[in-house]
Amino acid sequence: MSTIKHRLTPLERSERRLGFAMLAPAFLLLAAVVVYPIADLIRASFTFLHLAQPWMGNPFVGFDNYAKALGDERFLEAVWHTVLYVIVTVPGAVVVGLGLALLANKPFTIKWPVRLGLLLPWALPLVFSGLIFRWFFEYNQGIANAILRGLGFAPLNWLTDPTLAFLTICLAIIWKASSFVALVLLAGLQTIPKSYYEAAEVDGASAWQQFREITLPMLRPAIFVALIFRTITAIQTFDIPYAMTNGGPGNATETLAMYIHKTTVDFLDIGYGSALAVLMFIVSAVITSGYLRYTRRDPGRH
Amino acid sequence: MPRLGNRRTMIVLAGLIVAANGFFPALWILFTSFKTEAELMRVPITIWPAAPTFENYVRVFVDQPILRFLFNSVAVAVLSTLLCVSVSSLAAYALVRLRVPGAGVILSILLAIAMFPLISLMTPLFQVMRDLGLLNTWWALVFPHAVLSMPVCILVLISFFQDIPRDLENAAMIDGCTRLGALWHVVIPLTAPGVFTAAILAFVNSWDEFLLALTLSPRVASRTLPVGITLYQGEFSFPWPIISAALVVAIVPICIVIALFQERVVSGLTSGGMKG
Repeated sequence: MSTIKHRLTPLERSERRLGFAMLAPAFLLLAAVVVYPIADLIRASFTFLHLAQPWMGNPFVGFDNYAKALGDERFLEAVWHTVLYVIVTVPGAVVVGLGLALLANKPFTIKWPVRLGLLLPWALPLVFSGLIFRWFFEYNQGIANAILRGLGFAPLNWLTDPTLAFLTICLAIIWKASSFVALVLLAGLQTIPKSYYEAAEVDGASAWQQFREITLPMLRPAIFVALIFRTITAIQTFDIPYAMTNGGPGNATETLAMYIHKTTVDFLDIGYGSALAVLMFIVSAVITSGYLRYTRRDPGRH
Repeated sequence: MPRLGNRRTMIVLAGLIVAANGFFPALWILFTSFKTEAELMRVPITIWPAAPTFENYVRVFVDQPILRFLFNSVAVAVLSTLLCVSVSSLAAYALVRLRVPGAGVILSILLAIAMFPLISLMTPLFQVMRDLGLLNTWWALVFPHAVLSMPVCILVLISFFQDIPRDLENAAMIDGCTRLGALWHVVIPLTAPGVFTAAILAFVNSWDEFLLALTLSPRVASRTLPVGITLYQGEFSFPWPIISAALVVAIVPICIVIALFQERVVSGLTSGGMKG
């Protein structure tokens, strides 16, 4: 397309109008489900609104809710847990996913069991993965303790010891998330020309050298995409800890999303819950904007 | 490097590891669903059910409104998929083909809004749905679920629309089609695989969604499968054999979808992820 400005022809003008008309439903839907609720969220975060105390009304309280959050130990713990989940599960899922992708990138004669093996964890609802892993790590009937007993060790309190519960939840998250990472990385692996490896082989490069010098650099964009996706979802971690421990023991495995859910739905403290949600959004926004800077491009150009 | 004759074995082994990693939990649940509560208490645990029983399945269907959950899940997933795919197709087409000024910026804004973590909006969404009287109805979930899948659907559809040669549409328009006519008669049929891929992704996303369903539709009669099964309360402890049977009932439909359309799903996921 030329960059010289020219008067639009009637056809171009009508196309442009049609274009905006076709974008309208998407923006209407987003306005109703996202934009208006955001405005409402921000407004509510500066007010007192407690559904269990309707006589208090909905007075404006300025930054009180935010100040309360900074002094709320349970909130700070939930933030810390969320950060820990990000630190453990993001690299964990990417490393495991890379391993799965490398294993899956072999010339199989029958492809479907491998592909389905990668798709199934992705398609399984998060809560169900949580339920299944909770079942695996159940004290009496779980398979993990059965193996320990079989090997002559004492069974462990997988889900009732704070540290073990955290690690068990991380394991479930990594299992669930690594398959999506593997699918993204596998697509990346398949774009690397075979000739690179053949040339390296001729030069006598070892498998490890080929991995370091060809695979990793060529996969960098795909790894970056996987990292960003995984980070965005890790910040919102809710389903798996909810199904496995419901945040327990105590609130040792509670995430930010879980605390916001409890504050709002169980404690009915809408004002305070809104302030917490705004804080959570700010964290996500910083990361999402980094992602968008990476992906932003003109879709009209091919 | 020594080239051993076991190259084939290594390949098979690699495949087995990937498949076992993916299948094991689902298979374990399947086996558990045929065991009795007594067998689960046995101390060296059994892998294969000693005396397979269908009792758990009977109890899932008789004691729990699982058919109701299933119906709700299907309705919400189908409606939100239809909404998401139609809205996303229109938007993607406008961005790729029509001379909308600043298409790149519009796409970024669209994605930025749609990728807003809906989790942090559960409080206002709860209020909005309550004000509209939609709490505990399918609609409370249909609209947010459609938004949830919009980014991936738009990205998948854009990548498919870009591959349709412009000349085909121009030819159709010369033959007397309108723009929308060209979209309906030429572009949509040609991009049917793309539209279909977007639809599967939207369906799975909605089928799997938990937090919004838990918040916006918590009443028993309007629960979706993930909420219904997770909140399943036994008389004493968590009734694992029945839960397992319920999980199998909930997982089988999605497994069939995935197994039938695996190539589409993979291409959709990766084009949404890679090109996005």
